[in-house]
Amino acid sequence: MSLQRLAPWFGFLFGLALSCLLALFFNESPLHVLKIVTTSFLNSKFDFGLTLFYTTCFIFSGLAFSIPLRAGLFHIGAEGQLTISAVVAAVLGSILPTHNWFGILIIFVITALTGMLSALIIALFKYYRKAHEVVVAIMLNFIFAAISTWLTINHFQNPNSQNPETAMIADQFQIFKSDPLKIYFDQSPISLFFIVAVAICIFLYWLEPKILYFQVIKSYGANRQANQRFGFSEIKILATVMLLAGFFSAFIGLTEVMGNTYQYKLGFSPAYGFLGIAVALLARQHFLGLIASSFLVAILHKGASDLDLETQFLTRDFSQVLQALIIFSVAASYFFFSRKKIKVESEVTK
Amino acid sequence: MMESVFILLLLSTFRLSLPLILASIGGYFSEKSGVAQIGLEAFLLVGAFSAATATYLSHSLLVGYMAAVLASLFFAQIFCLLVLKLKANSIVVGTGLNLLAIGLIPLMSKSIFDSTGSTPALIDINTTALLPIIVLAVVVLGSLYVSEKTLWGLQIKFAGEKQEALLAVGVSPAIRQWQAISFGALITGLGGAILSTYLASAYSPLMSAGRGYIALAAIIFAGWDLRKTILISLFFGFCEAIQIQAQSNSLIAAQIPAEFIQMTPYLMTLLALLFFRTKQQAPKELK
Repeated sequence: MSLQRLAPWFGFLFGLALSCLLALFFNESPLHVLKIVTTSFLNSKFDFGLTLFYTTCFIFSGLAFSIPLRAGLFHIGAEGQLTISAVVAAVLGSILPTHNWFGILIIFVITALTGMLSALIIALFKYYRKAHEVVVAIMLNFIFAAISTWLTINHFQNPNSQNPETAMIADQFQIFKSDPLKIYFDQSPISLFFIVAVAICIFLYWLEPKILYFQVIKSYGANRQANQRFGFSEIKILATVMLLAGFFSAFIGLTEVMGNTYQYKLGFSPAYGFLGIAVALLARQHFLGLIASSFLVAILHKGASDLDLETQFLTRDFSQVLQALIIFSVAASYFFFSRKKIKVESEVTK
Repeated sequence: MMESVFILLLLSTFRLSLPLILASIGGYFSEKSGVAQIGLEAFLLVGAFSAATATYLSHSLLVGYMAAVLASLFFAQIFCLLVLKLKANSIVVGTGLNLLAIGLIPLMSKSIFDSTGSTPALIDINTTALLPIIVLAVVVLGSLYVSEKTLWGLQIKFAGEKQEALLAVGVSPAIRQWQAISFGALITGLGGAILSTYLASAYSPLMSAGRGYIALAAIIFAGWDLRKTILISLFFGFCEAIQIQAQSNSLIAAQIPAEFIQMTPYLMTLLALLFFRTKQQAPKELK
């Protein structure tokens, strides 16, 4: 494996080291911080299950970012899509009259459709109005957040709580409450969605070289003009990647509502949509790499949230600092390794 | 009665528009130089926090404003180093910068004030409207002059439109972009200072409340035109003022939910993108 392929992992290690060194400014030992953020997931079965729950959400958000990136789209709209999907899942779960498998199917299908359609808006703006996907995604993130807040507080507020959250979904829909993973990990937030997320990554890894359309999407990302000359429909490519991205964003909402809290809680996401960027960059958009990078980022996220208890000056907010520094180092790592390569090549040609 | 409501709304619009106008002018310079800027939220937050902290510790508003400028300039250098020198993607770095500000500020407030993200209230400090008004006047007139009448302003536009033209006259586009981003961050940081020392009397967690994104929306809605950007920021400030008025008026609050007024800037930007082809107005080299 060439060094260039390992660039993001070197970046990751550099970002981690930098974050721990930053702890010095807050009168904390870097080694102590490193120990907490990297090992706290092993404290108990519950902690490990919680880390795997984060892994599940990061896998889905990594997929939601990396699939559009294959077509050259920067998709930072997952946050809005997962929010609106979670609300839809929670609302359907609390109002549907049919409390059986058909009801669960309806929740899954409508939630997935909500995520997909909300992501499709970005593709339509991109194709028909030539609007930048990042701009549209930022606007939609706020619009979906406002709609979700309005729906939650004004129409579906949990009558038994003062917090802004929807009512619990019907007991019959809480099927993941007793799934084997949850039982094994002492009722931690993990659910069978973890298996689904890993299986999707493995399936996509297997499928990618076999389906020509994946190559068409990649070629569109690499060279739009050439792709158009071959006659591939631009809107079809944009719609495909965004529908897939929306589908995976919706699964974060489903993981939370169907597998963890059984309701929608305002602000439940610790910016999963944005952290998907770090996960996808770290994995270089490789589908199997996404599993590993999601697990790593989840370990750090879980570890950083324990800093409140384990250190005097650092709080769980350190998680964001850690993720920001990792994003920076990973994003910059490509420069060092590609520059080295160019230098070596030029030496050889001399 | 109606007159007093109208005057109140007008004054409220002016007050609430101040950070928005400054942030949108700050973002304008970066975008116009060809670097997409979604890190405005970070500049606002560090500006607000450092201004409140320095003002509290020094009992001087001027020192607070200077601290905001220095802190946002420091953040801008991280952005520039990564984007211009190390060729990282500006959207990725902008997202990281926002995360860094959100995470770093509570850690600093904990170690300086032993609080969970806020600074102590600025009680004994005279936070009159004079300084913000002077800052606004200088920034608005100065940036209009710099952007429209100076060679530097023209070169910033060329950095975003046609970099070969700049190279042909021996000017480095990267240096102009570096200057534009730093200048923009400085102005946005001042917006943050106004947020914590004039609109409020302390820093509270995430007090920018998405204003960095609203400022970006104003730039895009205005089609990357500085004069229109300022006017649209005023309009978005008006929307915020209406929202606050509506919250205090139960009749209006019952008719128009606050969430819908909150989303007005974003919805209007999408509608602008839908009905006007603003892509043609975007800087050609914007990445």
